[in-house]
Amino acid sequence: MTAAADTLMPADAAWQLYICHACGYIYNEEEGDPDSGLLAGTRFADIPEDWACPLCGVTKSDFELYVAPDLSALKNSATCQASAHLSAPRSAPGIVVVGAGKAGWQLVQNLRAQLPDTPITLVTACAGDVYDKPLLSVAMARRIVPQALVKETGAEAAAHWQVRLLAHTQALHICTESRTLRTTRGPVPYAQLVLAHGAEAALPAPLRADLCWRINHLQAYQRFQAALGAQPQHVAIVGAGLIGSELANDLALGGHRVTLIDTQARPLARWPADQAGEPLLAAWSGLPIHFMGAVQLQDLQRQGAQYQLRTSDGQVVLADQVIAATGLVTPTRLARSAELDWHNGIAVDAQTLQTSVPHIYALGDCISVNGQSSRFIEPILRQAQTLTAALVCACQREAHLPDSAEQPCAQPYTVRDAVVRVKTTSLPLSLH
Amino acid sequence: MNPADLPPELAAQSTPLINAVRTIAQGPLAQQAYAIDRGAYPQDVLKQLAAAGAMSAHLPKTDGTPGDYGLAIAAMAEASKVCGATGFMMWCQSVAGLYMQASGNPALQGERLARHVRGDSLGGTGLSNPMKSFAQIEALLLKATPVAGGYRINGTLPWVSNLAADHYFGAIAAVTSDDAGSSREIMFMLRCDAPGVTLKACPEFSGMEGTGTFSVHCKDLFVGSDDLVADPAKPLIARIRGGFVLLQCGMAAGIVQGAIDSMWAVEGQLGHVNQYLEDRPADLQAELDALVARIMKLAETPFDTSTDYFINVLDARSHGAELCLRAANSALMHQGARGYLMHSEVQRRVREAQFVAIVTPAIKHLRKEMARLSAQEMPA
Repeated sequence: MTAAADTLMPADAAWQLYICHACGYIYNEEEGDPDSGLLAGTRFADIPEDWACPLCGVTKSDFELYVAPDLSALKNSATCQASAHLSAPRSAPGIVVVGAGKAGWQLVQNLRAQLPDTPITLVTACAGDVYDKPLLSVAMARRIVPQALVKETGAEAAAHWQVRLLAHTQALHICTESRTLRTTRGPVPYAQLVLAHGAEAALPAPLRADLCWRINHLQAYQRFQAALGAQPQHVAIVGAGLIGSELANDLALGGHRVTLIDTQARPLARWPADQAGEPLLAAWSGLPIHFMGAVQLQDLQRQGAQYQLRTSDGQVVLADQVIAATGLVTPTRLARSAELDWHNGIAVDAQTLQTSVPHIYALGDCISVNGQSSRFIEPILRQAQTLTAALVCACQREAHLPDSAEQPCAQPYTVRDAVVRVKTTSLPLSLH
Repeated sequence: MNPADLPPELAAQSTPLINAVRTIAQGPLAQQAYAIDRGAYPQDVLKQLAAAGAMSAHLPKTDGTPGDYGLAIAAMAEASKVCGATGFMMWCQSVAGLYMQASGNPALQGERLARHVRGDSLGGTGLSNPMKSFAQIEALLLKATPVAGGYRINGTLPWVSNLAADHYFGAIAAVTSDDAGSSREIMFMLRCDAPGVTLKACPEFSGMEGTGTFSVHCKDLFVGSDDLVADPAKPLIARIRGGFVLLQCGMAAGIVQGAIDSMWAVEGQLGHVNQYLEDRPADLQAELDALVARIMKLAETPFDTSTDYFINVLDARSHGAELCLRAANSALMHQGARGYLMHSEVQRRVREAQFVAIVTPAIKHLRKEMARLSAQEMPA
């Protein structure tokens, strides 16, 4: 409240605006409020305390000084956003893709090559920027600023591939009967829906979302980098699988001290045939990485500006930051809302990547084929091909066109054993 | 489908309660619906509805039987089909009862709650501002200063409904404290006739004028332990917020059904031209049926405190509001000039639908809150 300052104002000072907290009514000193007896030119400071907001009735104390934003700037920024969002008419449902990670954008590229005119809408909780997720870890070693990883912004990619991008938008619910995806920016009708929303970090107790980082997307990396700051820090990483080991390697190369914790006696124990743990630890001997194997994390809590981790055998670690690398789980919200079959993920048919519900397809980290999920990049490229073929056929069916002879309807996806390349630069590995 | 039927999930609730509500709604309420929209407060109808049990089906019975949120929503839909304003006041009365029952405060339960349930006394809810405050949309307007034996309340709440001089409503105030770091709120039943309370008329709204809506000024209002619902308020709010929002879905379901019924009413004469419209009654009915099925499923677990459940409730409520707007507008297109007459229920329903879309939580608030609740939490 600036009433005291106002009374000291010279009589010819500029007229001020005051906004009502409750309803948004704006009191303009120049106009006054003649209906309640305040003449034009009544300074806010001179309004009696028992005056009430003419719209909602709250009193003078619920008003505060209001500086109107520059309307032309607001209009400009709204126009820029609109052109990014509305490159296809809102009325045509077309294909709607949820998720703008590798799977979502790869599918969009393949689809555009086959279906130049079909409206495509991409709904994503993030900005939709195009980047290589595996580089998030490498970027730590090289201390690369997050924005430098962006190959194309979401808006640029949307213009490039002619898709309507609904960025920073949460997909909430699928209404199968009306073929509508409900989102935090309104309902989005679809002819065919593709779920490419990926998986998210699992957080087994005692890990908690507000206490540990999951470096699973660009925004998280950005926030984590900001939290690390410029000085070397002590980072505890829980989970010494692929992601945990790469992060440990790269954070250590980036100058940070790392404690890597796992329930297994060696890192990368999920691939026993490769026996990679021992050589990796040997390769790390010159780096500030302390591996605590065969221990269970029992407790994690804030301790001043730091975090205290306690293991079941009584060891205590104080760290500046904690990262969870304890595996991935597929979010269930959308699948449950449409009652999709579920088998370690969204169950899809390998022939077409269609889910158990017509007009809904899925690819990437969120799917499972015969109960088997995959969280690697290589299968996504082949899945995008399978799905593109299936969607081209679905669009032709909707348009009552005969299937095109050159475009075989089914281009089945086959599950292959993945060879995993571990970008632990201290000892590059391939796991089988 | 019989055009006079509610969605199957609601029609299935063919209990004595629903029959009683239907008799009141299609009798005395139907006669007053226009007058209520223009400003008549339907005290008699509300008391009849309460006496029939229409605003207490969701409360646990004295013998310990749990309340039935689905039945409460169906009752509200039955009245809202005829008069959206009355459906809204049923919600006000219903949640006021929920606050008293959930308070665990013997002074608010017992005879005081029994009178409320019977409709001998009426009340509302002033949680629009606190709900927006908890969703980080605006600041709390009422302040509570601790004093001997209770709190002294100051501040003004805009737009509280189902009020009259001898009514009461649930309110939340921020407790002022010297310790800037801590924040705590209390929840209490605010009696409109207590010393220090003034009800002031609101500017004229475009419809739903008979809802007993006032701005409430509090000047050194004393609140003692007999009126306390919760101290601190947040744990109780976390427990009841799902049911609180879910109950509002009854209004939307009834208004949409009323709109669909008025489309069918002219189908015989006007079907040959109405076939060219979008949002035809059968399409809207299918969408409403699916939405009501979702709401009834959610009504089985109103005290689920998970974020996921609450997002589902918010989305169902949002869908109800969106469907209200589309259905009421389409009904007007279907009826044409006769629906545009000032006295037409079709015209009135457009204003009721707009109310469902803008009353707290409005569509925009619901979407912002769902976005906030969906965002991935990270270390500070």
